[in-house]
Amino acid sequence: MEKSKKFFKEADKNTLALFGIAIMIFAIMGIFAPKSFLGIANLQGMCIQFPEYGILALGMMLAMISGGIDLSLVGIANFSSIVGSIVMIKTGGSGISILFGIATALTVGALCGLFNGFLIGYLRIPAMLVTLCGLQLYTGLGLAVTKGPALTGLPESYSLLANGAFFGVPIALIIFLVVVGCVSYILKATVYGQQVLYMGTNDVASRYSGINNLKVTMKTYLTGGILGAISGVLMASHYNSAKADYGSSYTLLTLLIAVLGGTDPDGGKGRVAGVAMAVVVLQLVSSAFNIMRVNAFVKTFVWGLLLLVIMIITKLVENRRKEA
Amino acid sequence: MSKKVKHILATNEAIVVYIIIALCTLIGIVNPAFFGVSTVITLSRAMLITLIFATCEMIVIISGGIDVSFPAVACIAMYSTIRFLLAFEIDSPVIAYLCVSVIGLLFGALNAYLIAKIKLPPLIATLGVSSVANGATLAFLGTKEISNIPEKIDALSKVFILSYTNPQGITYQLTVMFLIPLCMILAAFYILKYTMLGRGIYAIGGDKNAARIAGFNVTKIQFIVYMTSGLFAGIGGLTYTILMRQASPQSLMGSEMMVIAAVVVGGTRITGGHGTMIGTVLGVLLIAIVQNNLIMLGIPTHYQTFVVGLIIVIGTSITSLRAKKIANSAKV
Amino acid sequence: MNTTERKLVRMMADTFLKLDHIKKYFGGVKALKGVSLEVRSGEIHCLAGENGCGKSTLIKVISGAHDATEGEIYIEGSKIDKLTPIESIRLGIQVIYQDFAVFPNLSVAENIAMNRALMTGNKKMNWKEARELALQAMEQIGAHMDPDVLVERLSVANKQMVAICRAIINDAKLLILDEPTTALTANEVEKLNTIIRNLKAKGMAIVIVNHKLDEIYKIADRLTILRNGENVATGMITEFDRARFVKCMTGHEVADTIYRPEPSDEEIVKVENLTKKGAFEQVSFCVKKGDMLGITGLLGSGRGEIGDALFGIAPAEEGVITLNGKKIEIHSIQDAMQHKIGYVPEDRLTQGLFMNRSICQNTVAASIAKYLGKMGLNHNKMKEITNYWIKTIGCAAPSAEATMRTLSGGNAQKMVIAKWLNTEPSLLILNGPTVGVDVGSKADIHAILHNLAKKGIGVIIISDDLNELIHNCNKLIIMKNGRTSGVLETGDMSEAELTGLLNSGM
Repeated sequence: MEKSKKFFKEADKNTLALFGIAIMIFAIMGIFAPKSFLGIANLQGMCIQFPEYGILALGMMLAMISGGIDLSLVGIANFSSIVGSIVMIKTGGSGISILFGIATALTVGALCGLFNGFLIGYLRIPAMLVTLCGLQLYTGLGLAVTKGPALTGLPESYSLLANGAFFGVPIALIIFLVVVGCVSYILKATVYGQQVLYMGTNDVASRYSGINNLKVTMKTYLTGGILGAISGVLMASHYNSAKADYGSSYTLLTLLIAVLGGTDPDGGKGRVAGVAMAVVVLQLVSSAFNIMRVNAFVKTFVWGLLLLVIMIITKLVENRRKEA
Repeated sequence: MSKKVKHILATNEAIVVYIIIALCTLIGIVNPAFFGVSTVITLSRAMLITLIFATCEMIVIISGGIDVSFPAVACIAMYSTIRFLLAFEIDSPVIAYLCVSVIGLLFGALNAYLIAKIKLPPLIATLGVSSVANGATLAFLGTKEISNIPEKIDALSKVFILSYTNPQGITYQLTVMFLIPLCMILAAFYILKYTMLGRGIYAIGGDKNAARIAGFNVTKIQFIVYMTSGLFAGIGGLTYTILMRQASPQSLMGSEMMVIAAVVVGGTRITGGHGTMIGTVLGVLLIAIVQNNLIMLGIPTHYQTFVVGLIIVIGTSITSLRAKKIANSAKV
Repeated sequence: MNTTERKLVRMMADTFLKLDHIKKYFGGVKALKGVSLEVRSGEIHCLAGENGCGKSTLIKVISGAHDATEGEIYIEGSKIDKLTPIESIRLGIQVIYQDFAVFPNLSVAENIAMNRALMTGNKKMNWKEARELALQAMEQIGAHMDPDVLVERLSVANKQMVAICRAIINDAKLLILDEPTTALTANEVEKLNTIIRNLKAKGMAIVIVNHKLDEIYKIADRLTILRNGENVATGMITEFDRARFVKCMTGHEVADTIYRPEPSDEEIVKVENLTKKGAFEQVSFCVKKGDMLGITGLLGSGRGEIGDALFGIAPAEEGVITLNGKKIEIHSIQDAMQHKIGYVPEDRLTQGLFMNRSICQNTVAASIAKYLGKMGLNHNKMKEITNYWIKTIGCAAPSAEATMRTLSGGNAQKMVIAKWLNTEPSLLILNGPTVGVDVGSKADIHAILHNLAKKGIGVIIISDDLNELIHNCNKLIIMKNGRTSGVLETGDMSEAELTGLLNSGM
């Protein structure tokens, strides 16, 4: 009882509202399409899909908390998974070479993130511009390496990472939960986690409090890069191939999730629980659409509409609070 | 050397000119045929659409905002217009352009409402509108490419204002469509420099609050800016369709990167308040030269995205560093 | 009486603006509780009062930005029912705000000419006319600037000149300057005063918001003092001596608690020949146990730069710093913090506080690493320490979790100091420690600082509040054009003496 009380106290209204929406979708779909929606196949299918962009959304959230934005995440994901895949193929495709490939991908992602962080933190170019350019740059690098088509011939066992299950629980879901746990820990329990919040709230005051803004910015985009790479590894495993333009719709989606999860685009505010909940809600909506055989493009339309509506409501509530 | 000449030689525009000259020299050495009328016509043709979009994007960025929705707005305006014309068997370029203009203006007004009234961050607002417009096009209007464009409209693609046949007997022709960006550029140049509206756009890009105190109607100016952007997007979309001789609901998607890049490389500061029409034209020219001549320089096509990306990163770094240097320089 | 004199007298008597019992409420907050003010053409009228006394609200009522809740406004004798910003400008009222509201991205000429064009409703931009207008305006006040240069490249003083030029070309009859001297050097203040006197001679009414006594005496004809949204005194400047002025401003007699510690030989911090080119040169001083060192000087004298250098924000280039017997080098803020130096910055709102974060988060911002345990950060411990500081330092805060925004200026400043005390500093530098702080909190803060000094923590106060310095510092450095006076013992120096020193050639 104590524990659940504490849980509700710590979760903010936004997260609770999302939780409510998720349960509502489950209830409605459970009534109208119980077999297809609540079936194991659908549940597993959902669990394979959302970790890919859910992890990206966490990277977006971190960048937004720091007062910036990261539009290059999808580019990083694809480029790092391409390099990782090449390493995997070149080293023979054994178990060790898969691990080696994944390690390479994460390293590449980290380097891309560091490059973003350097341009934003050291040269002080606006984050939006840097990461918009970064998206082009990393996608371009991916294209340059693959010459265009998807990179195939990945080891069979590699695809288990995204598509396999561990005691019935999809491995992708486990990875997602681990990442959520890590990011949550970083934000809540590390010095960096507090510093990024300070910097996002007021970067001058954070400098005058002895926080090294450059270091914090670098760490933020480095983490973003690694998260991008993890998502890239999952995508490559999911399709069993790597390509420079997989997941091109994810940039908008991650932005939507971050905002939906209660992250403030002006910086200084964001919750892992909220973002994780937003990921689940969006996947449920998406899945419900699929089952109702709604045209896939309607989703793009709805995502955009949702983003606008949520932002408008947030702003209106904020304005009202200011007036009061 | 007088101070004024020195100043002109160190502007952003001048730097872009130097880079263009260096690049042209390099290309000219590899391929002497580069220096010729044919190149001018090819480049003009290649720049046509980008110029339209770059002009409106520049105005938006000067005003302190950003618009990433114009490709989606262009697509929905153009595609729905073509579908409408085909359905009612209307074949008139005037009505076609009127239609895209109205749709473009409507989406521009939506952007403006979200940004000026609700006060959403421009990037998020236009990204949302982009997604709504693109999703609506594909979901409700269809995904097929339409190649049976109404005849009279289609015929516009075969009207030329300039024709040149080189010694090898290849004919290069410049389409009449080139007049559209030309008029837009001249109009934008005049408005930005010689009207109070134009100066107001610079003013709100420099300091919104100061502009309000001075007596500018900030909301009205923002509406004009984003609606112009929507209008130009719609016209650009239809022009593109006429040139390509087919209407595709998604062909322009993704072009925002290149356009923003061209604007920023041309010296417009992404933070607003600074930018010139000449600079933007030069920026578009630079990127068009790079894109059109990569192969000639021995760079394979699949490197194109990367090389363009690299140029953008370098270009934006230079402009940002220059802005930083001015901010840190001794005050007078 | 000759004709010019007679004319002057008549002009003095012309009331341009009259406010009668103006009240302004924001929800339940009473910002103005019935303020009356009379401003005559051809006079310089100073509006004084502590922060939060309602000065800025009053200006906004005059400029039409705020609607008065109650009360009447008369301009040139006729009653104005509703004053809008544009109406106010048309009637000849021009306000120069503290941030000048100029456009950094536009040229000097355009900045100056823009308001005229907006007022006339001209749709076209005439560059030639703008240039001429700008040159004319600059000539009128004796400013010399290249009309084509962008305003972002101008110094603060020149930006102000641009704002003044812009105001006067619109046939202004009343010019209001909101704290015009805060960012100006001594020379620039002199120049500004000359310009203001010239405008006055032309018959313009001028209102200057200021709270620095010396500056007011130099320029004002008449004075109105506000406190807590009420006007407490109005009269010719000659009717106010210092004691009356302070009493009107604060509502208290100045309590003379003078801090003079026992002399000690224990050196806390010693600075020798500290130099940063263009900011200060050859600064040397020594703070012994119990000492409170004050650094003062006019703006641009290098007083603030010394603090910035010691805290590593803009490090010094030469010089030796010895802290508790150990030579240290400071190249960055991180260096300074490693050597346990704390800095309470000048601008509390932007540099000192995270307004949207909780008091607890503000308190531990500079010492967050202390709370890293084996299981990550210990948030409970942070809360405990915050509660401890709230109690120790005497901050009126509802709880550790309340946002910083809910605190008053004085309480917020106490928490900025607590933030640094929580780092267990060896040296604490405070730049303007009591700016915008109410009298009660001011005394509290001074008491806290005295205690620190007694405990053996080095305390350096950088301030332009001479009264504060004389009462709290036993040692004083006066800065002038980057050079120091050397260390002075305050002893029983009076404020007048100090003012003399400050303005002398040294």
